[in-house]
Amino acid sequence: MTRATLALVFATAFAAAFPHAQAGRTLSGPPTYRAPRTASGQPDLNGFWQALNTANWDLEAHEAAAGPLLQLGAAYAVPPGAGVVVDGPIPYTPDALAMKRKYAANALREDAEVKCYLPGVPRVMYMPYPVQIVQSTDTILMMSEFASAVRTIYVNGTARPPADTWMGWSNGKWDGETLVIDSRGFMGGTVGALDEEGAVHVRFLDRAGNYHTDGLHVVERIRRTDADHLEYEATIEDPNVYTRPWTIRMPLYRRVEPNMRLGDFKCEEFVGDLVYGKYQKK
Amino acid sequence: MRNLLVAALLAAFAASVGAQGQKSTYKVPRTPDGQPDFQGYWTNLTYTPYERPKELANKPFYTEKEAIEVFNKAVDGSENQVVHYVNTDFGATPVQTGAKPNLRTSLVIDPPDGRIPPMTPEAQKREAARAAAQRAGGPLARTWRDDRGTVWCVFHERAVPAVTAPYGSNYQIVQSKNYIVMIYEWNSERRVISLDQAHGTVPLYAGDSRGHWEGDTLVVDTINFNPKRTFMGSPGTPPAVSVTPTFHLTERFTRTADDTIVHTYTVDDPMTWTRPWTVEMPLHRIKGPMLEYACNENNVDAFTTLRNARLQEAGKLAPPDRTRSVEDPKATVLEREEKK
Repeated sequence: MTRATLALVFATAFAAAFPHAQAGRTLSGPPTYRAPRTASGQPDLNGFWQALNTANWDLEAHEAAAGPLLQLGAAYAVPPGAGVVVDGPIPYTPDALAMKRKYAANALREDAEVKCYLPGVPRVMYMPYPVQIVQSTDTILMMSEFASAVRTIYVNGTARPPADTWMGWSNGKWDGETLVIDSRGFMGGTVGALDEEGAVHVRFLDRAGNYHTDGLHVVERIRRTDADHLEYEATIEDPNVYTRPWTIRMPLYRRVEPNMRLGDFKCEEFVGDLVYGKYQKK
Repeated sequence: MRNLLVAALLAAFAASVGAQGQKSTYKVPRTPDGQPDFQGYWTNLTYTPYERPKELANKPFYTEKEAIEVFNKAVDGSENQVVHYVNTDFGATPVQTGAKPNLRTSLVIDPPDGRIPPMTPEAQKREAARAAAQRAGGPLARTWRDDRGTVWCVFHERAVPAVTAPYGSNYQIVQSKNYIVMIYEWNSERRVISLDQAHGTVPLYAGDSRGHWEGDTLVVDTINFNPKRTFMGSPGTPPAVSVTPTFHLTERFTRTADDTIVHTYTVDDPMTWTRPWTVEMPLHRIKGPMLEYACNENNVDAFTTLRNARLQEAGKLAPPDRTRSVEDPKATVLEREEKK
C-alpha cells in the first residue's frame, strides 16, 4: 500500500471515528468577534502569524512516518496530523491522482521547498515560518520568512494579473470582518533550461506531493477570531487537476514575542550546492 | 520629441530644485495614522555619477541650464548602450523609467569634494587580500557562489545601502502604524523598518533597521549587516568592499514634493574608511505595479556559466569571444557582429 493510499484510508477512518471533528476544528472563536480597527477603519490584521499544524507535511489526515533520509532519523520524521481539508479527500481527477502518487515518490526532486523556490499560495501561509502582515489602506503585504517570499494584496483591486508569477496576483476586499482575497495568475512549473536540470514541474501544496498547476485560482477568507488568532480559509480551484473546488481551514497563531521580527531565511544559500553541484569545480 | 521630453523634465526639475535644501512650502500628505505618507512606487535611477568627477571637485552644483545639458547628453549616451541587449528597446534606460535631472554634480555630497574618503591602511590590506584570493581561483566560475559570471540570488546588494544601478532600481513602499516596508525590485529584496522595536542581535543581509520620525523626516538607523555580503561594486561606484560588524548606516527620508522623496545616507565604518561619508540619492515617483523578481527560479545563468566553465576546462568549448564588450557603447549588437 502506498503512503498516499494509506493517508486516504486514514482520512476515511478518521472521519468515521470523529464525525464532528471537521465542524469542531473550523472556528477558533465566536463568529461575532469584532476585531480592533486600523486608523482607516479596517479590521486590524497587522502582526506576525504562523500555522501550528502539520499542513506543510500533508494537507490531508496522515499518520506519523519516517523522514526522507535514513540518517536524519526521528529529527526530520513526519509528525501526524488530522488534516486541514474541510471537504476532502482532495478531489483529484483519476489521472491527476496517479500523478500525485508519482510526485510523492519523487518529492525530494520535485518539491519547490527543497530548492528554496517561492512557495506560492496558499502554501506560504501554513509553512512552518512566520508571516508578517503589514496592513495599509490600499495595500496589504504578507511576508514570509521562507525565501523572503512577499505577497501584495491590492485592496479593492480589480486589475487582472499583468503577468504570471509564483506568488500570484491578489485582489482583496473587505467583507465585514473578513478579508477576502482572490488570487490568479500563477506560474505552474519551471520553463526552459532549468527543466533539464531536474527542477520542479508543478508546484506542491505540501511535502506529500499534493499539487496544483498554472490553472490555480485561490479564494482566501481571513478574519480575526480573538486578540491572537486568525481564522484562515482557502478555497482551491484548478480544473486541470481537480474535479471541483475544495477548501482548507486552520487557525493562524500570533507570534507574541515582544521583539518578534522576520529573520533572514534566504535559503538559496543552503541549496546552491545541491542544485548546481554537478557543474561545480570538485 | 526631444523638446517635449525637456519640457516634461523641466517641470519635474522645479520639484527637484526644491528638494535640494531650499525652504519648501510643500504640505506632506499623511497616512490615516498621521505619519508622512511615502507609499507607492519610487525609483532612484539617475544619470548623476556616484562620486564626483575630479575636474568638478570645487563645483558641487550645476546651474539649471548646465544640469539640463548634462542630463540630455547622458540620455543620448544611454540610448544605444549595449550591455546584454539594447536597453532602449526594453524601455529600460534610466530616463524611460523615471530618472530626473539633478543639480548635484555627484551623489556623494560629503566630503565636500564629492569623493569617498580613503580606506584605512588595514582595510586596504584586507580588500587587496580579498581580491587576490578571488583572482587566485582563475578566470572560470568554480561554484555558484563566486562572481565569475554566476548570479547570486541570495541577496541583491544594491538594495541597502542604495547605490546606482543601470536600470530597474525601483522601490515599493508600504506603511502601517509601526512598520515601513521598502521592497526593492531587484530580487524583490525587502527591508522591514520597525518604528517601535529595539535592534535585534542576529545579522541580516539588509541590516537591522530601526526608524523614528524627526518632524516629517524618517530617520533610519541600521546596524548588524550580514558580514557575508559586500557593498558597492556596481556600475559607477568603486569596487565592492566588505561589510564589517562596525558598519553603521544612518538615513533620512523627506518627502519634498508629490513626486520626490529626498533620501540621504551616511556610511560610518571605522574598520573601512578614515571618516564617515554622505550620499544624497533622490527617489522619484514612478507608476506601479512592481512584480516579483524570482531570481532563484530563473537562474539559468548559473547553470550555463558553470557548465560552460567545466566544458572549457575539459577543452570541449572555446573561450567566449570578448570583442563584444562595452568598449563601443554606441554600436548596436548587429554592428558589432558585422565588425568581427
